[in-house]
Amino acid sequence: EDVLLPAPQNISILSTNMKHFLTWSPLTVQKETVRYSVEFQGEYEREYANESWIPICECSLVTSTVCNITEDISATVAYKLRVRAYIGVRRSEWGTLKGFFSPITTSLTPPLMKVIADGYHLLVKLEDMGPAFQFCVVYWKKGQESRMQQKVVKEVSSVVHLDTMEAGAAYCVKAQTYVEAINRSSSFSQTQCVRTQGDRSMWL
Amino acid sequence: LTAGNKIFHLGPCRVSLSITEIRAGFNAIKASIQARDPIKTLSILSHPYSLHKVKASDRCCIALHLFDFYVDKVFKHCKAEDSYLNRKISSIANSFLSARRKLEQCHQQNQCPCGQESDEKLEQVLVNYEGLNVTSAAIKSLGELDILLDWM
Repeated sequence: EDVLLPAPQNISILSTNMKHFLTWSPLTVQKETVRYSVEFQGEYEREYANESWIPICECSLVTSTVCNITEDISATVAYKLRVRAYIGVRRSEWGTLKGFFSPITTSLTPPLMKVIADGYHLLVKLEDMGPAFQFCVVYWKKGQESRMQQKVVKEVSSVVHLDTMEAGAAYCVKAQTYVEAINRSSSFSQTQCVRTQGDRSMWL
Repeated sequence: LTAGNKIFHLGPCRVSLSITEIRAGFNAIKASIQARDPIKTLSILSHPYSLHKVKASDRCCIALHLFDFYVDKVFKHCKAEDSYLNRKISSIANSFLSARRKLEQCHQQNQCPCGQESDEKLEQVLVNYEGLNVTSAAIKSLGELDILLDWM
């Protein structure tokens, strides 16, 4: 009689900046190739579709122990996830993620940015993190921390113009991301300061 | 949520909906869903009057009614053989569920008034829906999702 395989263990989610990955510990069986399949269940399936589960075909019978679930986990509801192991026709019980996962809990990191002094123009170049992301850019003249100004950037274009600078003055900039769908922001990035000196920007 | 979100102002109610995600999901399945709809001469949402004829004051309640309609009556009868279709329908259904919850909260705070027109409109949608067998009606309604999205 076929011995059941043990269910995958240590099932967890890695979610950063609205990209979500399911991971689990590999099952090691001598001289055998172990494959895995992943399924998800949203709140809709639990409440309106007889608690049905939906397979993720990109993660069906795969040897990897990581599955990108971003495309399917697309609403701000609670999702359940499970993984099953296969060796040939033998298969394990489902290993289920403890509790639920919702995109609301994703961790948000500050954006990568580059501050440029183009002549007397203070510019910032922001990382394109996808359409779900907006940016709050805060900038001030060095030494006048009490007079910080703020600009909300809804769509990342190549470069954002912040201000026209006074000659010889130094200006500082920091930025954070904002995701409207989950109404949360990242922490602020490191502050970057530049000073104008004719046409060359000087980092401080 | 990987795609752009949009805040819908329905009267005093604000609903954040990942509209780009829903449209992308719908566009991915639209052709095959509409191919399964044999009755081209009928509309569930637009017969006899288009959604666009609705008074502004009734927009919020109609949106709430239509979210209810899709969540309670439509999505569950659209199960497909194709897993890709099921994943996209799940994505839309869970987004609608999330949006409905926000609208319901607003409704409970008496900010999403239901007038005669919104009740009549939903009544008409249900009459159109019940005029067909349930699978055809559900598939046709899902195929008309862009009518709802355009109206919103």
